[in-house]
Amino acid sequence: MENYTIEEMLAVEVSRHIHNDEMSFVGVGTGGKAYIRAVGIPAVASRLAQLSHAPDSMIMFGPIIDPVLDSDSIPETNNEYDLIHWPCRSQTTVYDSHVVFKAGRMGVGFVSGAQVDQYGNINIVCIGDYNKPKVRLPGSLAQPDHLAYAKRVFAIIKHDKRTLVEHVDYISGCGNEHREGLKGGGLALVFTELAVMDFNDSGKMRLKSMHPGVSLQNVIDNTGFALDIPEHVMTTEPPSEEQLKLIRERIDPKRKWLNANITQEPTTLTN
Amino acid sequence: MGERKTKLVSMKEAVETIEDNSGLLICGSLIRRHPMALIHEIIRQNKKNLTLYGWNNSIDFDMLIGCKVVKEANSSYVGLANVGVCKNFRRACENQEIRWVEHSETTAMDRLVAGSQGLTFAISKTPLNNGMKVNKEYQKDIICPFTGEKYTAMKAWNPDVAILHAARADKYGNVQFDRRRMMDNETDIFMAKAAKKVIVSVEEIVSEEAVIATNELTVLPKMYVDYVVEAPYGAHPNSCDCRYDFDLEHARHYQECSETAEGFKRYIQEYILETKDWQGYLNKIGYEHLKKITRSFHGE
Repeated sequence: MENYTIEEMLAVEVSRHIHNDEMSFVGVGTGGKAYIRAVGIPAVASRLAQLSHAPDSMIMFGPIIDPVLDSDSIPETNNEYDLIHWPCRSQTTVYDSHVVFKAGRMGVGFVSGAQVDQYGNINIVCIGDYNKPKVRLPGSLAQPDHLAYAKRVFAIIKHDKRTLVEHVDYISGCGNEHREGLKGGGLALVFTELAVMDFNDSGKMRLKSMHPGVSLQNVIDNTGFALDIPEHVMTTEPPSEEQLKLIRERIDPKRKWLNANITQEPTTLTN
Repeated sequence: MGERKTKLVSMKEAVETIEDNSGLLICGSLIRRHPMALIHEIIRQNKKNLTLYGWNNSIDFDMLIGCKVVKEANSSYVGLANVGVCKNFRRACENQEIRWVEHSETTAMDRLVAGSQGLTFAISKTPLNNGMKVNKEYQKDIICPFTGEKYTAMKAWNPDVAILHAARADKYGNVQFDRRRMMDNETDIFMAKAAKKVIVSVEEIVSEEAVIATNELTVLPKMYVDYVVEAPYGAHPNSCDCRYDFDLEHARHYQECSETAEGFKRYIQEYILETKDWQGYLNKIGYEHLKKITRSFHGE
């Protein structure tokens, strides 16, 4: 079995959960690792899904709808000029892209977060008390909307105790505890460099699979609350040779996505 | 026959109409097409106690906050995209120097859409069970009279002034966007319609004949516009559609200066106070440098 990077592992695993004929939403990321998690991995996962079991699935990058996701068409940078000229089937206003959420038609919202708690609440607003924060983060963007309306939300985050906390300091994305009045399905899957998690019937985070080579103790030691751990935990299926070939030759040979080269600040999830 | 009203004024005159203690709506989003030339002039004129409104903001909010012009600010985000966080915004929130009112992209937009349509409130499901629901002064629980579903009613926004950067305008105030543009900033159109007064800076002043010949680009007919100011590169360092890119180098420099309050003060002194006006600022940035980020002079 070939060697693969964690970014490739995650892109392949995420792609398995994308349904055919659905729209997914990918936002801006900031840069660096956050970009790889919020944008890079979802972009490659979407193309992989289109090339296998979900040929009619579509992705929306803000106002850009259903862009061509093969390497030659991906812009070199995310300068506005390059994004405007990125081949896509449609461009829409951001207001209209939000309407897709509100009307309940967004299949998957891709998010990341500084904190995610055991009920799937997400926080990208502040560490500490909202009125006197220890660290003020940039703000919630459309995350409240993702968690209110999307059929499913997928979070790609770092697996450590600072991120996976018992209770978030601020709810910018509403989890599974209180969904009265909300139409969307909320946080469905969490992908980290160690594992994949879903949620049990009580809405609490549950271990779904661990990546090859990761031990249960490793996962427990890096989680800031008691994960629901089933009797038998599967191993995340690694990428196949064919999938790696697709990523490396057709989708992202220049690693614009998986190493954030498009942001002009390349990095990896492991350094 | 009476003379037709013209709206073309100097930067100084336009900004003089912005009063202390008023509400200022800043158009543009993320690192795209915020009206930075107008913001520089607001800083030069030493405005006080402004309440800022936006839906997705960056160096525009950060600079005003750092200059202590701001009492309260409303948006879903203040950040410098892949350059990093906005340091003045972060410091001001952590030290409780301004009141920050959290929004999502839709709640900010919906309040502006309602305001632009003469409605007194917008409805949304986003604030239900979200951290932003603590802001009771603009949110009330509401039940749909037809289905009994829960919603949040959000007070409409009608800010005192909106400032916006666009591609072209004629002297009568007909404002145009470029044909090929990033659709993030179509929000500017309804934002302007929500405000009581609108000041637009443009890359180029064109004749009325030019506007008529390309009328499909007129996004704000003159009835929505109070003042027009000519400001080439008026969004710098933000991008402006197909005209010029985000100035990554300058943004990084701004970011370095903003590391400390003192460093930020020096940046303002050097780039805004000492340059006296927008032309002075562009001279300081240098046309050789601007050429590097320029894609086309008249848009696409």
